[in-house]
Amino acid sequence: MSEQQIQDQARGLLEEGQVDCVIGYEMGSRGQVRPAFIYTPQDVERLVWNDGCTHNLTVYLHDKKKPPKRGADPPTVSIVVKPCDSRALNVLLAEGQIARERLHIIGLACEGVVEGAGFGGSAQNGKLQDRCQRCSERTPIIYDVLIGEPPVVEITDDFGDVAALQAMTPGERMAFWLKHFDRCIRCYACRQACPGCYCKTCMFERDDSMWIGMANEVEEKQFFHLGRAYHLASRCIECNECERVCPMDIPISLLNRKLVQDVQELFGYRAGLDDQLGPLLTMFDEGEESLI
Amino acid sequence: MKHATQQDLSSWLDGLARTATLHAPRDVEGIILYEPVSGSGDIVFDYSRPKMSAKDIILPATEALLTIERRADEIAFTEPQMEREQIVFGMRPCDAMGFAAFDAAFLQREPVDLGYARRREKTTLIGLACPQMWEECFCTSVGGAPDDPSHVDILLTALPDGGGYAVNGVTEKGQALLADLKTSEVEGEPPPPTLHTEGVPVLPQERWPALFDDDYWHTIAERCLSCRICAYVCPTCRCFDVRDELGERRAGYARFERLRCWDSCTGANYRVVAGGHNPRAIKMQRLRNRFFCRFNYFADAYGPTGCVGCGRCVEACPVNIDIVEMLHAVDGIAGEVQE
Repeated sequence: MSEQQIQDQARGLLEEGQVDCVIGYEMGSRGQVRPAFIYTPQDVERLVWNDGCTHNLTVYLHDKKKPPKRGADPPTVSIVVKPCDSRALNVLLAEGQIARERLHIIGLACEGVVEGAGFGGSAQNGKLQDRCQRCSERTPIIYDVLIGEPPVVEITDDFGDVAALQAMTPGERMAFWLKHFDRCIRCYACRQACPGCYCKTCMFERDDSMWIGMANEVEEKQFFHLGRAYHLASRCIECNECERVCPMDIPISLLNRKLVQDVQELFGYRAGLDDQLGPLLTMFDEGEESLI
Repeated sequence: MKHATQQDLSSWLDGLARTATLHAPRDVEGIILYEPVSGSGDIVFDYSRPKMSAKDIILPATEALLTIERRADEIAFTEPQMEREQIVFGMRPCDAMGFAAFDAAFLQREPVDLGYARRREKTTLIGLACPQMWEECFCTSVGGAPDDPSHVDILLTALPDGGGYAVNGVTEKGQALLADLKTSEVEGEPPPPTLHTEGVPVLPQERWPALFDDDYWHTIAERCLSCRICAYVCPTCRCFDVRDELGERRAGYARFERLRCWDSCTGANYRVVAGGHNPRAIKMQRLRNRFFCRFNYFADAYGPTGCVGCGRCVEACPVNIDIVEMLHAVDGIAGEVQE
């Protein structure tokens, strides 16, 4: 049903020349879902919508900022987003990374996606991802067209996973993280899958090793993961792509969620709820105690 | 065939772990990896393929090639020595084939890579045949087999129902190591592995250049994240970066390490040259390079194919860039080009 509507939307947009490309989901080579880039009306039947549509496709908008040829305009793109992904759009709009007038948003009401989604074979077990089990946002925050009926859910996120970590002693917590960071292979998949990580040269990968050495040692890995988490504080929209793509199963979401919780408690701010809301670190209210 | 019981194998491995660094499949937080073990108790004997290849054992992700020390009036250079023998147990035949590919690149051509040569010489490989081809595997399409003894020193084959192991001492080095394993001569042969019924078409090396400019590379690369998972899990990806990094500095003394660390052509800044130009600035060029390296450049430069068909990249890619799907597509495109 929703799938048909996505296809109809995409067909219309492409036939009328309103967009150059529709970014959505298609079935992959081994029964999993994968990102799809549709350029012609004939190809819209490839588009699918199901509980395996886990990827946050907004990361691909960074590839669409440049014109295809010198002198031409950058492409106009339609993108399929879940409610979580839609918040990333607001973050990127607020940070001036994407242009609203070149973006058409197909918002999908979301029932959640399953564990192992995006990977082939026996990876998918039919169980909803943890993040979906605690998600109360079932309608995209920003969209041009909304598809599907949002399910009614009564959920409050109690940050129980973060609390369990907070209950540890600092020593235990350090041991927990070093054990996990030690497995990191510095493949940077977490960063590459993140719509919020778009620096042209990542500070953790400078050729001059200014901030961090290139050794694959636990000190470097710790610095990378903690540094990246801080760079995403007040910007992470909890799509959890970083954790999903990690080949070493590092529980990266716990770091991000700790910061999400802190930012919410300290500033009453959640990333991506409003396209007009500037990045937290650029906002200053009159009457706010000056730090300068 | 020569036969060893699980118990005898385990005590033999315990002995090996005392005299050498023993690497073997180990469960690390639910992920199977080739890791150093202290004895057979640490080893997982029933596994498909470890998540990472074994290449870290002979081409470490981080290796000091040279230590440079500066004192008041002298500069000293020290090359690290490798004292201890290392043994890999449970090596899958495809991973051993990956070592053979490394040998072709690092040992069998001048100049020999000294750091690699040091490790390789001190390394003995005990293979454990795969009972079957796993879902993503295609070793038989690139010249390998789940029970291929060609690149290991010893090949073991687990017999069904916990019936111990068939033991094959392949090289002299392997046979010498087997002197301490209690074996008996029994009738019969180990069962053959279960193979996939259909192979994967691998286009011959010389036919790839004609496809270099095909639009297909744009299509497949569009969803690529330009991360390095495929390269780092791959048994034959061997690119690295070398930098001198400061280790320690105090009055009158400084120590630098010349580090060699894994790097990958799939990363955006890999190919940046002096002055800042990037000849492979777009991800299509990077992904295409990785595939061409596997099936054209490597074979052209060194002889063997640069892919051993282990299927790790297929399993680990979070956006389903599937080398098997690519090979089928390329086979189709090549057919059209020829017509």
